[in-house]
Amino acid sequence: MKYNYVEKAVQITRREFIGLAGVAAAALWTGAYAVTDLVEDRNKYIKMRMAGLYKDDEKQAVRQSHNNKSLMQMYGKLAGKPMSPLAEELFHTQYVNRMIS
Amino acid sequence: MNILKTFDIQDVVLKHTLPVRLFHWCLVLGFLPAGITGIVLFLRPFSSEGMHLAMQIHILGAGLLTLACICFFIFQPGRVVSFWREIFSWTKNDIDWMKVSGGYPQKILFGKEIPVPPMRKINSGQKLMGIFVFFAGIVVILTGCILYVALPLVPKEIAWYTDKIHLIVGMCLLVAVCGGHIPLGIYNWKEFICMFGDGTIKIKDIVKHNPLWIEQDIEKIK
Repeated sequence: MKYNYVEKAVQITRREFIGLAGVAAAALWTGAYAVTDLVEDRNKYIKMRMAGLYKDDEKQAVRQSHNNKSLMQMYGKLAGKPMSPLAEELFHTQYVNRMIS
Repeated sequence: MNILKTFDIQDVVLKHTLPVRLFHWCLVLGFLPAGITGIVLFLRPFSSEGMHLAMQIHILGAGLLTLACICFFIFQPGRVVSFWREIFSWTKNDIDWMKVSGGYPQKILFGKEIPVPPMRKINSGQKLMGIFVFFAGIVVILTGCILYVALPLVPKEIAWYTDKIHLIVGMCLLVAVCGGHIPLGIYNWKEFICMFGDGTIKIKDIVKHNPLWIEQDIEKIK
């Protein structure tokens, strides 16, 4: 539909401009601060986790599951061998794809 | 109406510009799927695959809603300020309008039209809704961002409160939109077509709802 009237242009006052800029700056600042904080926290946890894993690894006498006597004993007595039907039933879980395509 | 004397019967006004209509479309396509899947995620009626799909739709809808709000704020500051001016300016007219609920119950339930105080571009009910949507929208978007991006990193107590606030404010928003805004929008069919269509409407069709806006805030194209 063709129109012949429009709304008058909005004149932003100085007070409103400061309000708008203030809200935008606060949102951006909070967002930027939160992101740097998150990245720092994330890196901190990753580094701590890595250090913990290396420490655990160094302490271990047996570092491969196929050399783990108690595990192999368990397979021998209970589940036959790795990937046996009973092992599949007891130890394997259902996979659900949670990727967002 | 006296105002009509200054206008031609065929005069048409552009009530909603293209950016405003696009923003409104984004709110519809972002908020409604996010809100409905929010209920699904709360009630958990489906299998894990169904719930996974609901979460994907929830995230995509919320993403569209957030992006639309940010873009509108950056590229249409004039409309944002105009919206603020409208929703935060209350006069005696607004109090009188609220006292009779804009005459809607009388009109819908008893088919009776009563005199209603004149309004500008949005009426007092829409102002109330605007204030709620403005603040609740910010709360829902911020809490949603925390739940999506930073859940493993925030303390458990904050995560719990964030989840509860997101749920309660989001549900209130959905109820207000689905229980008030959408039915009344459909009831005012020509306004509905105006917002979802090309943004134009005949002045004679809005002279009852927006007499002050027509009188003071519009101008003829030169």
